[in-house]
Amino acid sequence: MVAVSFNNVWKDYGGGAIAVKELNMDVKDGEFVSLLGPSGCGKSTSLRMLAGLEHISSGEIVFGDKIVNTLPPKDRDIAMVFENYALYPHKTIFDNIANPLKQAKIPTDEIKRRVIDVAKLLEIEQLLERRPQELSGGQKQRTAIGRAIVRQPQVFLFDEPIAHLDAKLRARMRSELKHLQHKLGVTTIYVTHDQLEALTMADRIAVMNDGVLQQFDTPQEVYQNPANSWVATFVGEPGMSLMEMEMTRMDGDLTLAFGNKTIKLDLKNKARLTAAGKTKLLVGIRPDKASVSQLEIPGAFECQIYSRQLLGADVLVEVEFGTSRVRAKADTSFVGAVGAVCNLTFRSEDMYFFDAEDGKAIPH
Amino acid sequence: MASREIISYDKGVAIKLLKWVSPVFLGFYLIWALLPLFIMFMASFKDLLDAFSVPDAGDWAGVAMFFDFSPTFTHYVALFTENNFGEYLLNSLFASIGSAIIAVTLGSMCAYSLSRSEFRGKKDLLFWIISTRMAPIVAVIVPLYAIFRSADLVGTLPGLILAYTTFNLPFAIWMLKGFFDGIPYAIEEAAQVDGKNRFQAFMMILPLAAPGIGAFVILCILFAWNDFLFSTIIGSGGAKTLPAATKELVQPQNIDWGKIMAAGVITTAPMIPLGLLVRRYLVAGLTMGAVKD
Repeated sequence: MVAVSFNNVWKDYGGGAIAVKELNMDVKDGEFVSLLGPSGCGKSTSLRMLAGLEHISSGEIVFGDKIVNTLPPKDRDIAMVFENYALYPHKTIFDNIANPLKQAKIPTDEIKRRVIDVAKLLEIEQLLERRPQELSGGQKQRTAIGRAIVRQPQVFLFDEPIAHLDAKLRARMRSELKHLQHKLGVTTIYVTHDQLEALTMADRIAVMNDGVLQQFDTPQEVYQNPANSWVATFVGEPGMSLMEMEMTRMDGDLTLAFGNKTIKLDLKNKARLTAAGKTKLLVGIRPDKASVSQLEIPGAFECQIYSRQLLGADVLVEVEFGTSRVRAKADTSFVGAVGAVCNLTFRSEDMYFFDAEDGKAIPH
Repeated sequence: MASREIISYDKGVAIKLLKWVSPVFLGFYLIWALLPLFIMFMASFKDLLDAFSVPDAGDWAGVAMFFDFSPTFTHYVALFTENNFGEYLLNSLFASIGSAIIAVTLGSMCAYSLSRSEFRGKKDLLFWIISTRMAPIVAVIVPLYAIFRSADLVGTLPGLILAYTTFNLPFAIWMLKGFFDGIPYAIEEAAQVDGKNRFQAFMMILPLAAPGIGAFVILCILFAWNDFLFSTIIGSGGAKTLPAATKELVQPQNIDWGKIMAAGVITTAPMIPLGLLVRRYLVAGLTMGAVKD
């Protein structure tokens, strides 16, 4: 077990394709960190640089107190689970799991004992004589995890390991993986594009976009205090809605204006926005904090319904709000149809504020 | 898995006609392809008189004459006792298997590198490799002979192996590159993470290219085994192979048909099981990795 650091790491593929830009990140010993971002954001590249499967263009990667930049994968003492499992198709499940141990020249009887222990833990001991093509997706994935945990590595690297499983199995594997990591206590870096996986499993989340680390914090912080408008809209499902608004003075009082309507600010946010001194703002609101109604509500915004989707327990209503659209969760009793007019309300305490120019969150 | 039903909605006259025409065509084709082999096989067991007793045109009952003979092994025995065919058989074996092993060893390593690495001019290099096969052998045989002679390789088995390898290697590289392209890179990466170095990771995925390697080895052996031109020119003298030796049975004063037929059987027989094998390998190889499963 070891702490892992990225120090000013860049990855330049040449021809203007820069996958990772100045990545700085310190992962504590035994921590579960999730690298979260859309496809092509550089998260997988970062993981592969950690594994030694790709060279780094500049900067350094440190395991404990050792710089590993030039170490080949076999000397880094890592275990990796690949997105497509990457099992050895011509070997049995037993041999797949045993491969890292054989490589480490461990005696045969100990290999056997450890493989069976791992297989029991992952509930695949009845499959050990089969070959990968005879297994289901979930079983293959367990085998891949088994191959990773059979050796006690310094660091676990997961590259979207459960992305290809069906939704139900994925939900189960999330809790199992989290449990396993907690039990083994191995430093873990987990790449995913699924913000739910990151929120549910990680001790800390590193949100990446366009090769740049946007925010590196606990799931709670990333959700409640997103560093910028991009993180705010990426994390959370259904996603946060953003509206462009302006700060105006009205009768000597600071208010938010949208068109000819104004929103009264609570004291805390008023102080915060006064201190920031920005006039053009992006205002965010999460769907469960916005509400729509067809009743007359004083001070509400009158909007047209763009779409409605049943989520099961409630309805997600999307309304047109100026140039943007705002999502709001409503009770299933909400009858408004597409095209109908409804009233949108939200409280200023629930709003998120970002600078409209650079998208950065307005400091508290 | 989707169903394998072949959908056909067209019930026109042409389709119906084709249904009848194609078996007839295939029947004739089969006779055309197999009859010479059959006649060769039969004639190798006949003495000269029996071999040339052919019924008159239109005399279908006379076909029985073809089967009416007392089988003899004299031609086979004579080939090995008088004509030294044992040595030629060994030459054929060494030349074909030797060149196949060298071509497959170098070819798989080269194909792997070309499949996995990216570098400037890779496409040009690939084209250049296959372009060496574009000229017919006859076009290059004279300069090749001059080179081989100045290197003292003419009439030697290593010379013949080298000549076959020259022509098999580009083929090997192209064919095997396709197989390596079909093997996911992640498997090697997993092997490296498991503790293998780059070369060990390559050895790890080699069994996955086995259908390709198997098919290629057989095609390579077939090429060398059936070759006539290299054998008569580069191999002439010390490294004569079966086809070249068979040709020498045609003498100006006497064409020894019985022996020629027997030599034909000896040359053809070992290649038939190989031909059946390559079919299995090629089918397995060509479909492997074509569809993501």
